Amino acid sequence: MGRNAILEVEDGNLLNTLNMLWRKLFEKKVIDALLIPQELPSGINVVQTLVGSPESLESPNPLAPVLPVNSARIVSQMTKVAPSPRRVGVVLRPCELRALIELVKLKQASLENLVLIGIDCFGTYSIKEYSKLAQEGSPPTEDFLKGVKEGREDSSLREACQTCEYPTPMNADLIIGLMGMDFEKSILLQASTPEGERILEALELKDSNETEVAKREEAISQLIAQRTKKRDELLEQTEREVFGLENLLKLFAPCINCRNCKTVCPLCYCKECFFDSPTFEMEAEKYLGWAEKRGTIKMPTDTLLFHLTRMNHMAISCVGCGMCQEACPNDIPVSNIFRLVGLRVQRIFDYVPGRSLEEELPLATFKEDELQEVG
Amino acid sequence: MVGAVLVIGAGIGGIKCSLDLAESGFKVYLSDRSPNIGGTLAQLDKWFPDNHCGMCKILPIFSRDESSQFCLRRGLFHPNIEILPLSTVEKVEGEAGDFLVTLSVKPRGVTEEKCIGCDLCAQVCPVEVESEFNEGLVSRKAIYLRHPLAMPNSYTIDWDSCTKCGDCVERCPTAAIDLSQEEEIRSLEVGAIVLATGFEEFRPQPLTQYGYKRYPNVVTSIELERMLSASGPFRGRLVRPSDGEAPRSMAFLQCVGSRDRERDYCSSACCMYALKEAMLAKEKNPELDVHIFFMDLRAFGKGYHRYYEKAKDDLGIKFTRCRIPQIKQEPKTKDLLLTAKAEDGGLTRHQFELVVLSVGQTPPPHFPELSKVLGLDLNRWGFCKINEFSPAETSREGIYVCGSASAPKDIADTLVEASAAACQASILLSSQRNRLVGTKIYPEEVDVREQEARVAVFLCRCGEEIAAAVNMQEMIELARGLPSVLYVEEIPYLCLKDAVADMKERIKDEKANRVVLAACSAFPYERLFIEAIRDVGLNPSLLQLVDLREQLSWIHRDRQQAATEKGKSLLTIAIEKLRSQEPLPLLCQGVERQGLVIGGGLAGLIAALSLAEQGFEAHLVERAADLGGNLRDIYATLERGDPQALLKGLIKKVEENPLIYLHKETEVIEASGYAGNFEAILKDKNSMLHPIKVGAIIIATGGEQYQPTEYRYGESEGIITQRELEGRLASGELDSKELRSVVMIQCVGSREKERPYCSRVCCSQALKNSLNLKEKNPEVDIFILYRDMMSYGFKEEHYTEARERGVIFINYEVDHKPEVKTNGEALQVQVIDPVLGGTLKIEPDLVVLSPAIIPNDNRKLAQMLNLELNEEGFFKEAEVKFRPVDFLKEGVFLCGLAHSPREITETIAQAQAAAQRAASLLARERLESGRVVSEVNERRCSGCELCISVCPYDARVKDEEKGVVAVIEALCQGCGACAAVCPNDAAKLRGFTDRQVFSMVDAAV
Repeated sequence: MGRNAILEVEDGNLLNTLNMLWRKLFEKKVIDALLIPQELPSGINVVQTLVGSPESLESPNPLAPVLPVNSARIVSQMTKVAPSPRRVGVVLRPCELRALIELVKLKQASLENLVLIGIDCFGTYSIKEYSKLAQEGSPPTEDFLKGVKEGREDSSLREACQTCEYPTPMNADLIIGLMGMDFEKSILLQASTPEGERILEALELKDSNETEVAKREEAISQLIAQRTKKRDELLEQTEREVFGLENLLKLFAPCINCRNCKTVCPLCYCKECFFDSPTFEMEAEKYLGWAEKRGTIKMPTDTLLFHLTRMNHMAISCVGCGMCQEACPNDIPVSNIFRLVGLRVQRIFDYVPGRSLEEELPLATFKEDELQEVG
Repeated sequence: MVGAVLVIGAGIGGIKCSLDLAESGFKVYLSDRSPNIGGTLAQLDKWFPDNHCGMCKILPIFSRDESSQFCLRRGLFHPNIEILPLSTVEKVEGEAGDFLVTLSVKPRGVTEEKCIGCDLCAQVCPVEVESEFNEGLVSRKAIYLRHPLAMPNSYTIDWDSCTKCGDCVERCPTAAIDLSQEEEIRSLEVGAIVLATGFEEFRPQPLTQYGYKRYPNVVTSIELERMLSASGPFRGRLVRPSDGEAPRSMAFLQCVGSRDRERDYCSSACCMYALKEAMLAKEKNPELDVHIFFMDLRAFGKGYHRYYEKAKDDLGIKFTRCRIPQIKQEPKTKDLLLTAKAEDGGLTRHQFELVVLSVGQTPPPHFPELSKVLGLDLNRWGFCKINEFSPAETSREGIYVCGSASAPKDIADTLVEASAAACQASILLSSQRNRLVGTKIYPEEVDVREQEARVAVFLCRCGEEIAAAVNMQEMIELARGLPSVLYVEEIPYLCLKDAVADMKERIKDEKANRVVLAACSAFPYERLFIEAIRDVGLNPSLLQLVDLREQLSWIHRDRQQAATEKGKSLLTIAIEKLRSQEPLPLLCQGVERQGLVIGGGLAGLIAALSLAEQGFEAHLVERAADLGGNLRDIYATLERGDPQALLKGLIKKVEENPLIYLHKETEVIEASGYAGNFEAILKDKNSMLHPIKVGAIIIATGGEQYQPTEYRYGESEGIITQRELEGRLASGELDSKELRSVVMIQCVGSREKERPYCSRVCCSQALKNSLNLKEKNPEVDIFILYRDMMSYGFKEEHYTEARERGVIFINYEVDHKPEVKTNGEALQVQVIDPVLGGTLKIEPDLVVLSPAIIPNDNRKLAQMLNLELNEEGFFKEAEVKFRPVDFLKEGVFLCGLAHSPREITETIAQAQAAAQRAASLLARERLESGRVVSEVNERRCSGCELCISVCPYDARVKDEEKGVVAVIEALCQGCGACAAVCPNDAAKLRGFTDRQVFSMVDAAV
């Protein structure tokens, strides 16, 4: 583990303290630009923004408990064609970082000249829930953090978050460590790469003592244990719901083929989805032939095939961010099903998506002695 | 000069040699005495050191549509190879370049073109004899197929046991059997002959002490091979012959028929195959107690030591160093009793339920006669005599040899020699390349792209074979009702000549532009049918075969209704696929017809010369100022050859050859491209850059001697390496007369944790130097401290000679290494004496270490060309056995110490092999792809490179400018891995469009 430093929280205001941190990163020439969520003037939501100068940092709020998009997609968009020679800081949640690592392996993003800043994540609300809370009164971020501090279990968080067993960033240069901290007083800045250590040096912060690090570790393992338990319960229940062709068909029956799930998935990286291709444009005779053969066919066709195909392609890299489920207009538990299958597949290959750049994608490697028994 | 070669012996060596020659533009006649090709290998299922089959890997990669695409066990097809089964050489007249060979061809009694392999003849044959394929463990009939899927796939009459009762003639549905067939005489004009006659396994009956054939549970290793095989007498169940029970314990006795007075040579392969068989037996029953009794465990090949360690450490196979003098049988249980010497010198008794004799290799019985016909000299054990520095050459010019015909050896070494022999023949005949081979000219293809699909369907009844298994009428009616089908016909035997001719007429009459043949297994007949469809001007991709034999009649014989349903489904699928099938062209790519050889040591010199002598220009790049590499320090060989004279001669030849561009003090700093089209940049000593374009690259970057850190090397003048000893003896610096006593220590740095491989050459080096010392000073005491003496093949006689001359061999175990102590000038060596027990102290004048051979730093070159290195840093070949000098990256070849440690003779063979492989690429004006190759939809490609990482043939590269992937069609083998891994169909396989596949799925369900 790299160096740990203490960031004192001024006047008990964590957001302001962090805001100063971002500005300092600009000042110390650690970054030339910053990708960070900022609050809308209305306060009812946050959006991801790319900020070119410290003066434009109006209302950055990476702690807002909401995840409108998985920003791995945005980083991919920014870096795939050609990375910038300038240094861009990107503030990401753990699931965003993990998705980004997967995209890098898939050559859809580059980490060149990026400063990866990861944030401990206590979970997020759906956009609707967040706006509702924001409109109801006090700022949701403060309330949420207060709840966290009190150890309140929040069942209105997104299901994916409640069952996420990776609440801390992996592969970040710098981690904003909140877990186990009294974040009215101080938080932990953790450097987990040489780049991160250079940043800490530039920031001239004092080193933390071991108790604080231990406190964070302790809080993390508690949270992971609690979430893993929840995850297993959820997946067990999902398995019951989805098991067998009949259940599968029933579960996906409300699918209207909108493909929102594909659009918001950070890992669905195809330029043009196979299912949008002319392969699926058929002559009327074809449909009638099927109808004749089977009596009735569900229209639009191929909705289940679409999900199964997407699962086939994405399950191994699925980070469980839950964006797909959020985007489904008909509340199909897409994410739960993907996680159920994904986890099983990932276990076969001892693969954790986003854990390490060194870990090769199982689909891209051949090992003679694996999968001796199939089925 | 005649551009044709006769290869005698169609085992794996003969097959490989034929393919290499055929691929590089020569006509090949492949002759074998037996009715089928395959030799000993046909009897074996899996090979060391990976326990898989992999014969198919020797099949050609380029122009694959013209040659075999199937399992090599099932078929060998190449337009330039004519197979002559049942033939023996009777007479050879003429001389190198112009031989006239007379062959006698024994009658098969069955017309190959008519035999449909239905087995009815064998069913009625009343004669039962021992099956030689299954080593007599079961019987066969007098009319028989040697083994399932034999090639040629035709029955044969065994005239020795046939009673000519005629039952089979009557039963044969195609009138294929002719008992009056007579021997035929054939004359062939060939420029060269290759001897690939292999070996005969030693028959252990004369060694009565082992009780073979008297004790039922004593079997030979080849019998065990059959017993372990799924196609064997017990369907792969390991049982003991006496009672059919699974044995709980078994023992292997090594060196049966090898390393004895009569056959003072090592058979080289037995240690390894015993390890393999032991592992396969353990696989069948992990509880089985397996014991191997050996004298020296000779795991000297690449990757073999690791294999040995796996057997020992992971699988718990037990090893005892002891030659078992005798086997006794417990009469009641038929268990076997043997007595072995224990570690402590005492005797231990063992009881086993099965004993396997690891039998060695001997020359085949007909070999003396054949060598007389060919006019070849044999060595004292009856193997073909060769030249140490030109191992493919026999005593007669124009006749070459490979494999076990010249010395016992394993498959890997045989295949290297097969290519080396092909190389020598190609050099001799290079002026005649491509003269006798040519492709058939077909009528111009009809352009069917704008035409509506008109499908003709032919269903073969195969007599009653298929017709009885399915309801043909139902199939026909179904086909008639399917869209685009305009013609359906049922034919009794589609494979017969007349039927094919009729079919062609019908296709023309009906103006069909797509053809479905619902008939036979693809492997024997697809070529015949493709030829037919090309004859009528159709592109071969417009033909679809439905296999009603292997998919139906062989497996669902008793369920006619279900079989018919399946048949209908298969037929519908084929027709659906064909309806939207586009004609697929062959794609071509040019070839830069010169080679690059990297490294100017022995391997590089031979490789460059072998290319030049075949008529190809070659760039030879050497880092140092002088050519020769390690060979410069070798002054003698164990076989008493003169390496310095060899080197001098080679350098002269290389320097004088106008086709060789010699680049000394030069390095390859950049290399890129692919087979046929590489670009490299050479940097000379003045830092000048020279870009070159070549079609093939041979890597011969060599290796070096390990600098010992063990045994106080460097601490005393008296502790030196074998090479230093050799140099000092050669220069006269060291006077052997003054030596009283010398200790040699083997395996210094080899077969250790850091280097788990045998360096192969050091035992010979120690033997050579001790014999040299003994010759000069018979009084000198020499002690060789060894772990396993690797005097494989005919090196064994020098081991014997050394013992006879009084060299003392002391075995040590890796856990109890000798100790070297220095006290000023004085040296002392301590070693545990396994025979006497206790520690032996020797005070020698010299301690001579035999250090490992290690690779040079190959990482840069490997990275440049995208080649793999193994864990020890040697280059990793495509496949250790079947593609020993190829890389997975096509167009790059490997030889010499960069591959693994090896002797001079072996290096020469390997360098010639590498040159031959390169030549078979350079011999083409262009590379032709197959028809089914992959392509890229650039609009959809996200450039994720998954397809690049899964492509086993390096046929996909990233176009960095466009950010998408591109296909090198000539390298693509159409396996479809890219299409499977691509998430959105940007990677596609021609002939398998999504539309086609979807409609096929639709048709199936």
